Amino acid sequence: MTRLVLTRLATGIITLFLTAFFVFFAVQALPGDVAAQLLGQDATPEALEAMRARLGLDQGVWVRFADWIAGAVRGDFGTSLVSGEPVAAGVWSAFANTLIIALPAIIVGVAGSIWLGIRAAARRGRATDSTISVLALLGMSIPEFVVATVLVLLLAILLPIFPAVVVQGPSASFGELAPAAILPAVTLIISMAAYIIRAMRSSAIDGLATEYATLSTLKGVPRRRVLWRHVAPTAVLPVLPIASINVAWLLGGVVVVESVFNYPGLGKLMLDSVSTRDLPVLQAIAILSALVYVVANLIADLTALTVDPRLRTYGRRARGGDTPTPGGPPGHVDAPTPHAPSGRPDQEVTA
Amino acid sequence: MTHPIDRRIFLAGLVGGAATVGLAACGAPPLTVPERAATGAAVPGATMRIARPAASAAETLDPASALSAYEYLGAIYNRVVRLDRNGETVPDLATEWSSNADATTWTFQLRPGVRFHDGRPLTARDVRYTFGHILDPDTGSPQAGPLALVDSMDAVDATTIRFNLSTPNAEFPSLLTAYQCYVIPEDSAGEIGRTGIGTGPFVLESYEPAGAGKVRANEDYFDGRPVLDAIEFFSIQDTSARVNALLARQVDLLSQTNLDNATARVVAGSPGTTVARVENAQWYTIPMLATSEEFSDPKMREAMKLAYDPRRVLATALQGTGTPGWDNPVPPQMAAFTEVEREYDPDKARALLKEIGREDFRTKIYTSAYEPNFTAIATSFAHQVREAGIRLDITNVSADSYYTQIWMAQPLMVSYWFTGRPIDQLLNQVFRTGSSYNESAWSNPQFDDLLDAARADTNDATRLAKYQDAQRLIVADGADLTPVFGDRLVGLSTNVVNYDEYGFEFDYLTIGLREER
Repeated sequence: MTRLVLTRLATGIITLFLTAFFVFFAVQALPGDVAAQLLGQDATPEALEAMRARLGLDQGVWVRFADWIAGAVRGDFGTSLVSGEPVAAGVWSAFANTLIIALPAIIVGVAGSIWLGIRAAARRGRATDSTISVLALLGMSIPEFVVATVLVLLLAILLPIFPAVVVQGPSASFGELAPAAILPAVTLIISMAAYIIRAMRSSAIDGLATEYATLSTLKGVPRRRVLWRHVAPTAVLPVLPIASINVAWLLGGVVVVESVFNYPGLGKLMLDSVSTRDLPVLQAIAILSALVYVVANLIADLTALTVDPRLRTYGRRARGGDTPTPGGPPGHVDAPTPHAPSGRPDQEVTA
Repeated sequence: MTHPIDRRIFLAGLVGGAATVGLAACGAPPLTVPERAATGAAVPGATMRIARPAASAAETLDPASALSAYEYLGAIYNRVVRLDRNGETVPDLATEWSSNADATTWTFQLRPGVRFHDGRPLTARDVRYTFGHILDPDTGSPQAGPLALVDSMDAVDATTIRFNLSTPNAEFPSLLTAYQCYVIPEDSAGEIGRTGIGTGPFVLESYEPAGAGKVRANEDYFDGRPVLDAIEFFSIQDTSARVNALLARQVDLLSQTNLDNATARVVAGSPGTTVARVENAQWYTIPMLATSEEFSDPKMREAMKLAYDPRRVLATALQGTGTPGWDNPVPPQMAAFTEVEREYDPDKARALLKEIGREDFRTKIYTSAYEPNFTAIATSFAHQVREAGIRLDITNVSADSYYTQIWMAQPLMVSYWFTGRPIDQLLNQVFRTGSSYNESAWSNPQFDDLLDAARADTNDATRLAKYQDAQRLIVADGADLTPVFGDRLVGLSTNVVNYDEYGFEFDYLTIGLREER
């Protein structure tokens, strides 16, 4: 178990390093000149040269990479090319703003979606199921910027309940941001929910079809109890990785949604940094997003390990030369749906 | 989680669609927007909210800088002289000015009794310091080039400043009207970017680069107190977010935003918001790179001109909101403008192409979402020149590298400038051989000589004639096409009265709100 956790941690760190490497060189390859971008269309060639030298852009690319990695390990991402302020402070405050919309969206979104998915599975084929499935499909197929625009149109312009955009900028206080965070959060919930609902629904349907669920039902356990006590905990397992990917997507800053609402979060900071070629900020955001992905996946894996004893024991047995159990290899947690043999001939396994 | 539909196009379609459904009309009716902004009595003591796109997080209140927070400048500073609606130089801090016989020495009399916001009196030393700061190479001011002819400056007495020039320039005062030339207090360059201490109608209360800021009325302003009590500025980078803020009544006016036709329709049709025009504010150009293989031949350039009708570009691309350009870069409202006859004759263009052996000429015309009308203009232009057998492939590229990768690098593209440059600066900056703004890399010694002769000519009438000859030369031989001047479509609340803007001038004194919110 400890060994497994350590392996996961090491993989995480390697992933982060590789990300840093690719991000750095991808950013170098971006078209456009930082100095030209900084000084604007009006700059003279001499001013451009002076600016390039001041930014250290005349040094070799490997030297700059080494410098940057050394700083990044200590949490120092250098100073912004544009504002001259330390990058780390700006990125953390933007990340904190993103949390204001992302945390409620995660809590409401994940819990609500799991509940809806299980409901749909329990009412399979009935009106509740169809309604939930159709809504989920709609949420999945409408791009989030359309959802955002429609919400603004309805709830900010036609019925002025919420502000349409954040006007105060990066210095906005929590009190100013909170009312403006509601529409973005709702937008995120809508675009995220569909994936989790659908995964949860198929997983729960499979769970209801297992032999132990059938046995409980035959023994006379109330259907409600079968669903929530026996089926739901196991059925959540394969949904965890999907939820964790969505959580990471949210925390990484949702560029389009933040831009539509002029919300001073990580996504908007990233967009602004791309357009002003603020490379240090861009690199720091990419690393932070990678970190969030790694951590979210780690948490999902560890939760799966806690819930499912088969995953904990498998590693030991495999080294002993045993053949894999029907529970599946550790990669199992990454698969969107579990392999579960159907106990009832009238219910096909839904993928 | 990416989506194949372009977001802007979609949004325009969505909002535009909503408006059309509201009108219960099939097919888009012609765009109608009011000619003038509302006028009338304003309530005293109001605060106006203006949304603007920020230059970048490095923006500053130092007017000399290339990254100045442009909207604040006119509110908090004054220049020595400014431009009127016709492009003539008129008093601001200076009340009168004169030159010696050969226009190498210019003397300006400053208004007495003017005070900076911190109480210090304005003197000639402040003006001298301001221009020293602009000319300092470390400042990197875009106006340093045009002002390089200033040899030295003398603060003759408290209210008299003298400029000694290295070459004669009869149009020198017009060079001081640029928005980089706002006057700052002596020895303030180090902190002016944050303090914003000027002599203007508003006093800076707070300011954050790329964030929000506020100015309040200057009770002590020499030209009378402004109508508004305060103005709040907000930075909203995304254009559709800026429009949403206006529609949701979070702001009263969008600055530096030219609404595209679909959005203008929505803003004009929504309750509480309207659209005002800044006449001929956008000068659209199609530079044909004179150094390129495609357009080095003057006959080829002539054929490009003959092949298209600016009136049709105006009617289709801008839906009539502007003036046809006929390849003369001087906007018609300027006093120095002269009407130059230019034919529209696709058959003649075709014959010219045949003559130079380019009957099936084909190249790319670059455009981007950098400005909302670029692609419409490129499309309309490409469609028309086809009649003369010229095939242009419209190539849409990313907006953020448009001016670094395409501009002055590709043979054919769509570009634009704000109008509002004085005649001397306009012709010298954009058309003179070797100027860093000469976007078509056109070089014509006769034209350069004409500009030099005009600068040395102290007789107003003959100088004007030279500038008009220069315009004829551009239309005949130039490489930078001017298809149209577009009106800037400005979104604002119906609550705003006495909004007036032209060129780089904004009337902060009389603008007001009809009622307090």
